[in-house]
Amino acid sequence: MNVRFTTFLRPPLVLIGSAFIFLSFFLCVSLHDPALAVSHPDTLKIGVLAPLSGPYAAGGTSFVQAATLAVEQANAEGGVFGRRVAITVADTQGRVDVAKAEALRLVSREKVTALVGAYLSEETVAVMEVAAAQRTVLLVPVAATAEITDKVRQEYPRYRYVFRVGYSIPQWAELIAAFLSDRKIGRYGFVGAGIRWNRELGETLERIVAPRGIAPAYTAFYSPANPAFDPVTVAVAAASLDIVVLGDPGRNSVSFLKRLREVAPGLPVLSVGGALGDARLASSIPLSAPVYVQAASWKGVSPAATAYFERYENRYGAPPVGYSDTLPYDAVTVLVAAWRKAGSADSAAVVPVLEGGAFPGVAGTYRFDTAHQARWGTGPGALRGTFVRWERDGARIVFPPR
Amino acid sequence: MSPLPQVLLDGLFTGGTYALMAAGMALILGVVKVINLSHGAFFTLGAYVAYALAERGVGHPIAAALLAAAIAFAFGVFVGKSFVNPVRSHPFALPVGTLACALLFEEAAQMVWGPHPLSIETGAPWIGPGGLVIRRWGVVAFLSSAALLAGLKGLLVARPGLPLRLIAEDEEIAGSLGMDVEAIRYLTFGGACAMAAAAGALLSTSGAVTPTMGRAPLILSLVVVIVAGMDSVGAIFLLSVALGIFGNGCAYFLSPQWAYVALLAGVSLLLAARPAGIVAIAGRRD
Repeated sequence: MNVRFTTFLRPPLVLIGSAFIFLSFFLCVSLHDPALAVSHPDTLKIGVLAPLSGPYAAGGTSFVQAATLAVEQANAEGGVFGRRVAITVADTQGRVDVAKAEALRLVSREKVTALVGAYLSEETVAVMEVAAAQRTVLLVPVAATAEITDKVRQEYPRYRYVFRVGYSIPQWAELIAAFLSDRKIGRYGFVGAGIRWNRELGETLERIVAPRGIAPAYTAFYSPANPAFDPVTVAVAAASLDIVVLGDPGRNSVSFLKRLREVAPGLPVLSVGGALGDARLASSIPLSAPVYVQAASWKGVSPAATAYFERYENRYGAPPVGYSDTLPYDAVTVLVAAWRKAGSADSAAVVPVLEGGAFPGVAGTYRFDTAHQARWGTGPGALRGTFVRWERDGARIVFPPR
Repeated sequence: MSPLPQVLLDGLFTGGTYALMAAGMALILGVVKVINLSHGAFFTLGAYVAYALAERGVGHPIAAALLAAAIAFAFGVFVGKSFVNPVRSHPFALPVGTLACALLFEEAAQMVWGPHPLSIETGAPWIGPGGLVIRRWGVVAFLSSAALLAGLKGLLVARPGLPLRLIAEDEEIAGSLGMDVEAIRYLTFGGACAMAAAAGALLSTSGAVTPTMGRAPLILSLVVVIVAGMDSVGAIFLLSVALGIFGNGCAYFLSPQWAYVALLAGVSLLLAARPAGIVAIAGRRD
């Protein structure tokens, strides 16, 4: 094989250009991202695990933005026992192996005091192992799989550091069931990406709504890599449904809605949260029939929620989606409040405080059950969540009744 | 009405989207003879150009396709001249390099437009006989892919396409006849990138516009061109349509989640039976 030395002396222009762009990007990010900013030795660091690249980057970015806002708020209130709070961000890329490695790096090398994350259920289950082994408090904002709280319940001494702020699958299903009952739905379709938590949600919802006389008339899961939207929309249109529950928080939910409206313009859709909560999309999505979006909270639900939504919009130029941002914001807020109550950031001191305390956040007041699951649902004292309906001029809160 | 005609019609349109992407890929694989893993990035570029125009009140898909094609051509010529041509003789460097270009573009798109999905308003579909829904983007994809592939076929059989045919057959002979092989290669690369961007612009209304939206079309266009064989433009179109109908049929009658698997399994079987492509000309390949 002939390799000419001159080849190495004349690297392709595009590589030089690429390197320059990457370097510029890295420098820009370094200067603006609080995660990479130099922190003081007495700073309390929170490790935030979220996908900032790849297919889940949209959710991961709002996750980090909200966590940043929460930390800024904490510092504006004087920090924690006189110490500043900072976040150190790790990009999980939506991959289990990366999430686990990054969690370990955050704890062992970055010396973070607690972890918030990850994003996907699979990632979070892997991160739990690191939190358990390192005895580091982990607050889970959005991952919903039952495995997280099952592990806490079954192996409490090992996993007692893990608390889920977001709703679990049964709680999520209970909230949706209450909404479907309120709308007097009889037949619904459940459609979404064929991923783990989504299947769990579909099955659990079916079980929970059965006593209310509500039944699924069509269920389908499409491949997230190359979703076959059109045949699913044709089947949905033929199934005589009252509503479609769309279990997809990502970009595919937008594509599915557009395709569905072509064949079934009058069929209402309920998104379980995520991309369809983005106000930037509202002007381009077809609203020939109601488009409902489930969220942890929304502007107007409470003064705290309104303040958060306005602060987020002022800071980032677009309102939050009320799910993948609001829950991380509350996770950081709850953590900071627990540190303050405990008078220490040590895990051994913080865990009992989290177990027994009540912590106000944007979505309401968080209390954890014996499996370290925040109480969401329809019972007294539970966090209720919000359902909004998109109109051309914005979203209107439709449930729970205010 | 039975949903079967709707499923078949949608399959036809889905096939049109595959063919639209495959047209540019066929040009690159057939003439430049490289696997361009940045093809999907140019598709994405086209969609973002369409979005940027729609934001400014220019929602016409043809205007978006033309502007996207012009930008992608310029960028493609730059990549072709500065990167593809110099490293073309190193078979492993090129896919890695073009993949790096694609990832670089995804990051750049994320920086400029953000990671969140964007959307362009879709026009209402036409309603055909028996309530058949004729999706606008589907008609655009089907007709434009047919036109692009017919144009490509016409170019290759006509006199102006002689240099492309000759280079595809034997670069040394083309060079000895005084043709500027390097220039034709990078111009062809630019042309193929322009076709991908035009496809992205034309299909931008059918779904969400995101930095990673070009990944799936990249794989499918590669599959179509390799399985059809680069020698027959007609076969590329027919195979695209067949795969579109097959995939949609599987999704409807079998399971939506298995549709992609069934499609790729079918393609693997075809490749096992005809490794050089289903219409490879005997004796032309080793």
